[in-house]
Amino acid sequence: MTGFNLHRAAAVARKEVMHILRDPFTLVLVLGLPVVLVVFFGFAIDFDVKNLALGVYDRDNTRHSRQLVSVFESSGYFLPGAVDSPAAAVRGLDSGRYSAALLVEPGFGREVGGGGRPRVQFIVDGTDNSKAQAVLGYLPGLTGAALRKFGATVPADPVPLKTRFMYNPELNSRWFVIPGLAVIIIGLLSILMTALTVAREWENGSMELLLSTPLRPAEIIAGKIAPYVGLILAGVFFVNLVARFGFGVPFRGSYLLFLGGTVLFALASLSQGIVISVVTRQQQLAMQLSMISGLLPSLLLSGFIFPVESMPAFFRYFTMILSPRWFMEIARGVTIRGAGAADLALPLAALAGLCALLLTAAFKKFKTDLEP
Amino acid sequence: MTAAPALEVKGLSIKFGDFTAVDDVSFTVERGEIFGFLGANGAGKTTTIRMLCGLLVPTSGSATVGGLDFSDGGKGIKGKVGYMSQKFTLYTDLTVGENLDFAAGLRKLEPAYAMRRRKELFELIAFDSPLSTMVSSLPGGVKQELSLAAAMLHDPEIVFLDEPTAGVSPASRARFWALIRKVTALGKTVIVTTHYMDEAEQCGRIALMRTGKLIALGSPDELKASAFPGPMAELDFNGPAPEGFLESLKKNQGLLELSPQGMRWHAAFRDKAAMDAALSSLPAAAARTLIKPSLEDVFIRLVEGIER
Repeated sequence: MTGFNLHRAAAVARKEVMHILRDPFTLVLVLGLPVVLVVFFGFAIDFDVKNLALGVYDRDNTRHSRQLVSVFESSGYFLPGAVDSPAAAVRGLDSGRYSAALLVEPGFGREVGGGGRPRVQFIVDGTDNSKAQAVLGYLPGLTGAALRKFGATVPADPVPLKTRFMYNPELNSRWFVIPGLAVIIIGLLSILMTALTVAREWENGSMELLLSTPLRPAEIIAGKIAPYVGLILAGVFFVNLVARFGFGVPFRGSYLLFLGGTVLFALASLSQGIVISVVTRQQQLAMQLSMISGLLPSLLLSGFIFPVESMPAFFRYFTMILSPRWFMEIARGVTIRGAGAADLALPLAALAGLCALLLTAAFKKFKTDLEP
Repeated sequence: MTAAPALEVKGLSIKFGDFTAVDDVSFTVERGEIFGFLGANGAGKTTTIRMLCGLLVPTSGSATVGGLDFSDGGKGIKGKVGYMSQKFTLYTDLTVGENLDFAAGLRKLEPAYAMRRRKELFELIAFDSPLSTMVSSLPGGVKQELSLAAAMLHDPEIVFLDEPTAGVSPASRARFWALIRKVTALGKTVIVTTHYMDEAEQCGRIALMRTGKLIALGSPDELKASAFPGPMAELDFNGPAPEGFLESLKKNQGLLELSPQGMRWHAAFRDKAAMDAALSSLPAAAARTLIKPSLEDVFIRLVEGIER
């Protein structure tokens, strides 16, 4: 890389900025799309279970049984509706009208008043296992609340187990999803940007002209990447604003650390885009390859939805060569847990390594010589 | 320094796999020449130019450009040449000024020098629209002229133009050729490729290329003289040519070339005596006119001579 000249790289970067400013589509894509997607997905992707239709059969109909139902209702997780027989409750589950049913037999109130062990039946639709799991997770809290309301002492567990969720005490899934979503969108856009801009130069023949000047490949790469790093950072900034003030996602860690990780991730993705464009040399093909290589692995194998730890061994190792997997850890770690550089040493090192690898690949692939 | 020829090419060849795109080409171009490459698409004109600009590495052979060779990876040469490619003119989504600033940035030109050059070149190409004009709004011919200005911003000694007039109107083509002559009047060497015969006529010397080989080299007149040492006649039968006469003419030993030109025929002969003998039996209704062969005749003769 001898003879790298900052002036020439800057000339390429300046020209690239002009292209971006002239093309509102690019600006909207990078600055607007992530924000729009985060807003959409922030509302739609909600793993928290709320407002579930609950069929309630209350044969007891005492003060205590009514208190029990009101505990379920006031939790916000359930919308109780009365049914007149256990069979009707089951029919309601069959038809999908109810997601769960609560059956209170006569004698419940008497047991509560008499200090016995009151019993109720709770039926959950197990079709959607994650929903069912979530519902079951709510139950101990609800029954505990009901017992306290009755003035009864909560029967002591043989092993007192108090669970506390750190960092995200309410297990608000948005806190988990939004930083992850940002990773995926930013990664995809970065790949797409450089893939298209370099492929365009091949396609309209201007790359040939650039190479006929003293311009070095490294200068072209640097000049092409630099403006997009800036643009991507602006996009990330807006996404974080929306996450924080729109969805209340906390930002607990160091801004500087997050910035560093973002720059590494953007560089890696932008380099990947350059490799794609050099290989394809056509915008159409570059676009398709970017979509596939930028979206699929990051969506499925980055730990965005499916935890990397629970993947089969092959995929678990495979994820190690994916930059979004490492940045996912960094983004979530820094924003939600407030993790520091020492905590994230491994993902940071891995990301830096991948970044160096992809930059080198982009440079190597970028041959000085044109083939006809 | 100026003693070295603009181009000195020896045995230049390039292969892409089994395909030999340029095959053992040698020639020399003096400074201040307009040197043309004439040939069909795929004849190797563009590939030759690309090698000389340092965009392709030849498989064998050597070349010096502006007295420099490629031992430094073409760095020195890239400073001495300006290249205008076939496809690309200027970035259409940028303004004239931005395009030229970019060209200046690539060559690391001092802003003051770039501005002076820009002025000189605008005068040369008679461009007087504002710098803020979007390139996309300019007519094709003007884009081509501006593209030449961008390629010459760093004041190169040698300018390579790869089919500079492809796709522009005949009037713009004429204007562009006037511009090329102005550029050589400034002492520059212009290497140009074309497949227009009328453009080739305007070159000082022409290299005729076919399937990667240089099949003829010389000034238009030299090429004509070597291809057609004898006279050429245009035969006009004022109607369909009598088959019997044409058949006997084709068998005539004195005939070099007989080719149809629309309704007329061009017949070239070994010498004047051969022509008089061959045309003695010309039907009375037919007219013959002595003509100068065109480059197209030369092209047909040389190219088809190889194919026969």
